[in-house]
Amino acid sequence: MPAVSFDHVSRHFGAVKAVDDVILDIAEGEFFAMLGPSGSGKTTCLRLIAGFERPTGGDIRIFGEPVADLPPYKRQVNTVFQDYALFPHLNVRDNVAYGLMIAGRGKRERHAEAEAALEMVRLGGYGSRKPSELSGGQRQRVALARALVNKPRVLLLDEPLGALDLKLREQMQEELKTLQRQLGITFVFVTHDQGEALSMADRVAVFNEGKIIQVGSPEDIYFRPEVPFVADFVGSSNVLPEALVARLTGETCPAAIRPERLRLASEGPLKARVTGLSFLGLSTRVSFEAEGTRLTALLPQDVARPREGDEVALSWAAEDLHLMRAGQRAGA
Amino acid sequence: MTMVQTTPSAQAAPSEGVLTRISDTLWRRPTLLLLILLTPPALWLGIIYLGSLFALLLQSFFSIDHFTGLINHEFTLATYAELFTPANFDIIRRTVGMAALVTVASAVIAFPIAYYAARYAKGAWRALFYLGIMMPLWSSYLVKVYAWKLILAKEGILTWIFEGLHLTWLLDAYLALPVIGGNSLSVSPTGTFLVFVYVWLPYMVLPIQAALERVPTSMLEASGDLGAKPAQTFRHVLLPLALPGVIAGSIFTFSLTLGDYIIPQIIGTSRLFIGQAVYQHQGIAGNIPLAAAFAVVPIVIMGVYLWTAKRMGAFDAL
Amino acid sequence: MTNRFITAAVSAITAASLATSAVAQMTEIGEGEGALSIVAWAGYIERGETDAAFDWVTKFEEATSCKVSVKTANTSDEMVALMNEGGFDLVTASGDASLRMIAGKRVQPINVGLIPSWSTVDDRLKEAPWHYVNGEHYGTPYMWGPNVLMYNTEAFPEAPTSWNVVFEETTLADGSSNKGRVQAYDGPIHIADAANYLMAHQPELGITDPYELTAEQYAAALDLLRGQRELVSRYWHDAFIQIDDFKNEGMVASGSWPFQVNLLQADGVPVASVIPEEGATGWADTTMLHAEAEHPNCAYMWMEHTLSSNLQSDLSVWFGAVPSVPAACSDGSGMQTQEGCDANGLAQFDKIKFWKTPVANCESQDECVPYYRWVSDYIGVIGGR
Repeated sequence: MPAVSFDHVSRHFGAVKAVDDVILDIAEGEFFAMLGPSGSGKTTCLRLIAGFERPTGGDIRIFGEPVADLPPYKRQVNTVFQDYALFPHLNVRDNVAYGLMIAGRGKRERHAEAEAALEMVRLGGYGSRKPSELSGGQRQRVALARALVNKPRVLLLDEPLGALDLKLREQMQEELKTLQRQLGITFVFVTHDQGEALSMADRVAVFNEGKIIQVGSPEDIYFRPEVPFVADFVGSSNVLPEALVARLTGETCPAAIRPERLRLASEGPLKARVTGLSFLGLSTRVSFEAEGTRLTALLPQDVARPREGDEVALSWAAEDLHLMRAGQRAGA
Repeated sequence: MTMVQTTPSAQAAPSEGVLTRISDTLWRRPTLLLLILLTPPALWLGIIYLGSLFALLLQSFFSIDHFTGLINHEFTLATYAELFTPANFDIIRRTVGMAALVTVASAVIAFPIAYYAARYAKGAWRALFYLGIMMPLWSSYLVKVYAWKLILAKEGILTWIFEGLHLTWLLDAYLALPVIGGNSLSVSPTGTFLVFVYVWLPYMVLPIQAALERVPTSMLEASGDLGAKPAQTFRHVLLPLALPGVIAGSIFTFSLTLGDYIIPQIIGTSRLFIGQAVYQHQGIAGNIPLAAAFAVVPIVIMGVYLWTAKRMGAFDAL
Repeated sequence: MTNRFITAAVSAITAASLATSAVAQMTEIGEGEGALSIVAWAGYIERGETDAAFDWVTKFEEATSCKVSVKTANTSDEMVALMNEGGFDLVTASGDASLRMIAGKRVQPINVGLIPSWSTVDDRLKEAPWHYVNGEHYGTPYMWGPNVLMYNTEAFPEAPTSWNVVFEETTLADGSSNKGRVQAYDGPIHIADAANYLMAHQPELGITDPYELTAEQYAAALDLLRGQRELVSRYWHDAFIQIDDFKNEGMVASGSWPFQVNLLQADGVPVASVIPEEGATGWADTTMLHAEAEHPNCAYMWMEHTLSSNLQSDLSVWFGAVPSVPAACSDGSGMQTQEGCDANGLAQFDKIKFWKTPVANCESQDECVPYYRWVSDYIGVIGGR
């Protein structure tokens, strides 16, 4: 039985179709990421699971139980909010123990459990502080402890790392992944950062305009985008339009090729002009224009770099050119 | 500015104008700038505000010759002792009781209004709401009170409405109640209470609304997400977070009621309130010491109130 | 620091009071100082601004070049307070304020020889105890009037004959109780009305003057007022609120002034007034001169003007009062007529006990309850004690 299942679920706000006819199953114990640009419907989907929004159509089930009519406080899911939503008037311990207090657990018991949860997120001894006295990363962990202490069957995370700086974000990604393995509960994770989704999740759903474009493992999404949107959004792949692909291969469909797979050559199938260079450390990113299409390549530092304005030829291994389907939506 | 105008030659100096040199000096010595900026308001606060408060306090330690009405400028606590005579203490108790009731009622009525305004009112509705709340503040306070006198009068609008609904018996039964009743609503403590609540309500709605607007929606969602029913969310999250607003509002309604002398004079039983006692003793009887002692009462009460509120953690969410 | 301030303040006050007692009364009137400031009851000093027909200031200003400015006061206590503050020349003080100001040396004795029209003043007022002290005159009588019993003619088809309708619970002619339908004055001087009522109904108390009460008589008056508290829903304080209460609150009887009666009648409200058999209290106002008046010459000119001009006649019409110069009722100096004067209370002069300040060392008794007790006890009575 899936932990969460969406059956033709829609959520319309007037004429705006925030979520439109979504079909999705999330397995128990899975680390699932919802990825997409802002306004793509991923957060609304999360809120539908939590119960903050009610679907205008379709059926949502959590562990088989239809939840459309269940208010948030009756659902066995907990949420880590984007802004953490810690209660400013309570100290850290009482924040974490809040759900236990509501559940009517005794003071001693809930304080002990809160301390244990704080230990788990490596904040032991911080119980008496106010949320305002903590750093962003610490607040993020308190929010995590506050959700986990209730032992939810599904944990929802809404852009939980968005407010952290890069280094902390990478560290937290590791910790979240480890925690999820340890606890074995289902994590549903919303993010607009493709790197984050790919590095953490077991499976990723790519959203656009209220619809799921493609669901699959990070490798599928990265290396085998089914439509140009996924290729472009997830991997910043070069998307070659149908006409160009037809000329190059004879197939009438768009294709993707990853920047690191493009090579500079004296002779090649595609003539291009260099429009820009930027130094990235391990590699240099080179921008081209070829037959009206903008392309980028990542060149290792041991390769001779062209100069801006140079006319060059581009080549690639045949298997690196990934053929896609035309249109917006992946066929299942 | 004036300096520049009166010394045009200095300003006209080719390289280093006076203004430039002043700016430079102030930039090098920021404390000097702070001193110049802060002195006038500090003097204002110190002399006009605290000074008059101190003068008031001083007056309350004098006494009055009861026949000639002249003030005896010798230190005495007799005036304060007078506050505790039964008639005067009644006035204090009556006023504080009324102020407390008015404050609680205002808070209870204002909270849902403020909640609606902060969470749901949008666009034109919001503007309309603000207008509705603020409009009573624009019209003359006296006009409002006299209008209420007509509404509450024995032959007034409310009686007429009750008659139309065949509920006269209900009004009569209410007015027959001891303490809160009276011959008509306009001469009953209930009437005074209603008008107080009406007149001070905006002062409660606006701060609560401001406090509620600062509570992120996610905070309430988080509470529900953690299993709290709406009533529990209200009790454990919304109310504590809105409490500074409620306290701010209650400071207004409580102290305004404590000090008002117009409403109880026009609506009610003729029993005095502190404001009236101050007015009568100072403006009419010339008994400035007793008036000052009465005026100190609300200050002390508000001090105790704020201190208690702080002790109970009302400002923790600030 | 504080101590030194208090000492300084105390000595300043002492010096000031010594200085005032040294002022001798004037012997001649000099040139006018060009200005005159008066503390007066509302409606007392009219210059035709409210109603062009009522003007007794303009001619005075033209004749003397003394520019008149008026500060209105609403109660006797307020008048005393204003005079204590200083900065005024004259005050139209009622009897419950005048003695206090004399005792407090806020006003100075006047030389009636400098006022040619003094002889026209009602003989009964020339040496009235509220302004004539130790053989000195402290002002010129201004205007007087009774505190009448105003009643609704529908509730009382026949005029009530006793004040009992406002002091004791009775069933009125319309079949309902008077409870909640009567009012009383919201000032400590109302205790005298109660004493006046007891004078007639409990002769064994031996009250001879409602302003001079022994502790026992005073206690009886307060008891009567406590009973009245049960009948009165709201005490009146402001004449216009009383008018509104007679219109909208179903009030049928109250002590009042001719002023309210006239205005209500003009509005078509069925009210009338009477001086019941017990008699009534009344007010008699005196123009008094401030001890440190800046414009004494103008002040004397004004006092003469108040007695000799159209003021007495027209003001008595305007205010529903009785002139202190009886001739003003009939000499055609203004609009007043003999019938008008009689209706306003002239005929009942003997039944009226004029307001004066209760003092401890009173004439008719060994010791009387002084005014400050009246103030605090009346607050208590209204408060339900």
